Amino acid sequence: MRLNSLAFRLFATAAAWTLVVLPLAGIIIYGLYRDDVQASFDGQLRKLVNAITVDSMAPGSAPEAPENLYEPLFEVTHSGWYWQITPLDKPDARKLVSPSLASAILPSPAIEKVVPDVSGARWMDVLGPKGEPLRVVEVIDTLGHEPNKPRYSILVAGPIDWLEHLVSNFRNRLTTALALAGLGLVAVTLFQVRFGLLPLRQIGRGLADIRSGKANTLQGDLPAEIEPLQLELNELIHSNQEIVDRARRHVGNLAHALKTPLAVITNEAREEKGGFGTKVAEQAQIMSDNVSHYLDRARMAARVNVIGRVTPLAPVVEALVRALQRIHHEKDVKISVQCPPDARFRGERQDLEEMLGNLLDNACKWARKNIVLVVEVPPDTGHAHRQRLTITVSDDGPGVADAERATIAKRGMRLDETKPGSGLGLSIVTDLAQSYGGSCELARGPKGGLSVCLQLPAA
Amino acid sequence: MRVLVVEDDKDLNRQLVAALSESGYAVDSAGDGEEGYFLGETEPYDVVILDLGLPKMDGISILEQWRRADRKMPVIILTARDRWSDKVAGMDAGADDYLAKPFHMEELLARVRAQVRRASGHAKSEIECGPLRLDTKTARVTCAGLQIKLTSHEYRLLAYLMHHNGRVVSRTELVEHLYEQDFDRDSNTIEVFIGRLRKKIPIDLIQTVRGLGYRLSDEPEQG
Repeated sequence: MRLNSLAFRLFATAAAWTLVVLPLAGIIIYGLYRDDVQASFDGQLRKLVNAITVDSMAPGSAPEAPENLYEPLFEVTHSGWYWQITPLDKPDARKLVSPSLASAILPSPAIEKVVPDVSGARWMDVLGPKGEPLRVVEVIDTLGHEPNKPRYSILVAGPIDWLEHLVSNFRNRLTTALALAGLGLVAVTLFQVRFGLLPLRQIGRGLADIRSGKANTLQGDLPAEIEPLQLELNELIHSNQEIVDRARRHVGNLAHALKTPLAVITNEAREEKGGFGTKVAEQAQIMSDNVSHYLDRARMAARVNVIGRVTPLAPVVEALVRALQRIHHEKDVKISVQCPPDARFRGERQDLEEMLGNLLDNACKWARKNIVLVVEVPPDTGHAHRQRLTITVSDDGPGVADAERATIAKRGMRLDETKPGSGLGLSIVTDLAQSYGGSCELARGPKGGLSVCLQLPAA
Repeated sequence: MRVLVVEDDKDLNRQLVAALSESGYAVDSAGDGEEGYFLGETEPYDVVILDLGLPKMDGISILEQWRRADRKMPVIILTARDRWSDKVAGMDAGADDYLAKPFHMEELLARVRAQVRRASGHAKSEIECGPLRLDTKTARVTCAGLQIKLTSHEYRLLAYLMHHNGRVVSRTELVEHLYEQDFDRDSNTIEVFIGRLRKKIPIDLIQTVRGLGYRLSDEPEQG
């Protein structure tokens, strides 16, 4: 999952929320539970202290040790359960204590100035004779509950180490449960994000199909939220192709409109003997070369990055060979073609025709007997968008000297002015190939003639 | 040799007609698709020069309809549309050659000659028959190396007979292939020109095949 992705954003916010909420909930639940346990323990202590008060503070001259030992552990030495009755007004008077306390004395919350609660009881946590943590409750009363009598502090203590144990036990289980819930939530979020964003992946695949030419439009039943996007995108692709087609049509019309008058001017000027006619013919030739050159460029510009056009090679090659063998019927040239049936060019049919047509036409003009066209498709490497077709056209003609190969590809360069043609053929092939990110290279052919190697994107 | 020019640009049409007539062809011309189609459908042409972007009926449809109607004359497409897709479409529709505008008139004339020769089965630009030699490039006829002076009608007649030498050519065929459409077609004129030609070349080269027509041959007359 990339950091800058919708999936990550959705996942991260959900995970962050989980990370905040779950611990908070844990803390609250833990706190409530602990308070609850403490309250119930306090209630028990409160009951004991009340019972002892009732027993010991019966009307009389002195408090009596409670007869009913409500808790057997009051008898067991250092059991953690203690009671203690202390006269407050006569500090030297004898204290009554539970047998469990033995000779130890517990500190009094009243003396420690602990504020009493609404029922008049004072609460405090102390350490017992063994150093064990104790919860102490103390009430102050008089014999027979009569006012203005000597006051006594009645104190009961209970061990709270088991309480701590209980609470920490609960905390551990709570933490485990919440952690599991958190993991579950994260997993569900992950699934939700993946599942929810599935249509976006579908769009990605659809666009790749359009790019590779497998589809013309973005297909599939997409969710309501992105359906408008799908419609708009299909419209865009459609109008894009329409614009290209229209531009092409206009350029074609312009070509027709300009070339016929140029033909008339050229013919007229050639009839006119003398300096003027020659000059006009010469200039008309320059104009006509320029028209061809810039019309070709305009056509090329009209199609930059047209998405989704794929052209199978075999039919194009077949049609061109058929046409060229009729055009050059007088020469009786044999064109042999080796083209795998699955070779496909990622681009416009017209451009492929233009490149191959010019190369084959050149070859037909120069070849003695044979022309060989070989199309090679690279093995499938999985990187479909980086694959290159290699198309080689070689003839058995006179060939081109090493030094001249560079000039031949330039605009308007012709090595032999006697052969018909404007000389723009190879330069437009080079430009077209480059506009597709490919290349066009000249080399010495196997039979001494010219060999042109064209590299083009495969589909 | 009779040529049809179908071209809607008036100036270019005129230039083509002038250049072709000068080279010894009988030329008809049409300025729109319908007229061009009709002429090609009804008249026997030796070559047709056809533009593609025509008013009323486009060149490709014209060509396809001719071919469907089994009209087999050679057709040279002359058009500003120079993309290979157009060329392939043109050739597939049944054209025999394709020339893109702007063009050199000499090249067009060379291609017309090539189509005429091809249709009559001659491989070279020079056609020989006995001592006669026709150079189709220069439109000159020599007999045993000496140039023969011919009027344009005489040249047309002799050139047609030489292209089809060894074959009997009827008077009607000669009329149809030597004269423009609106020419007064009196077949007697053919006899007049044959008579004149016989005076300029060895007399037994043009044989009269009674009831059928004429034959140019250096072999002795049969029967």
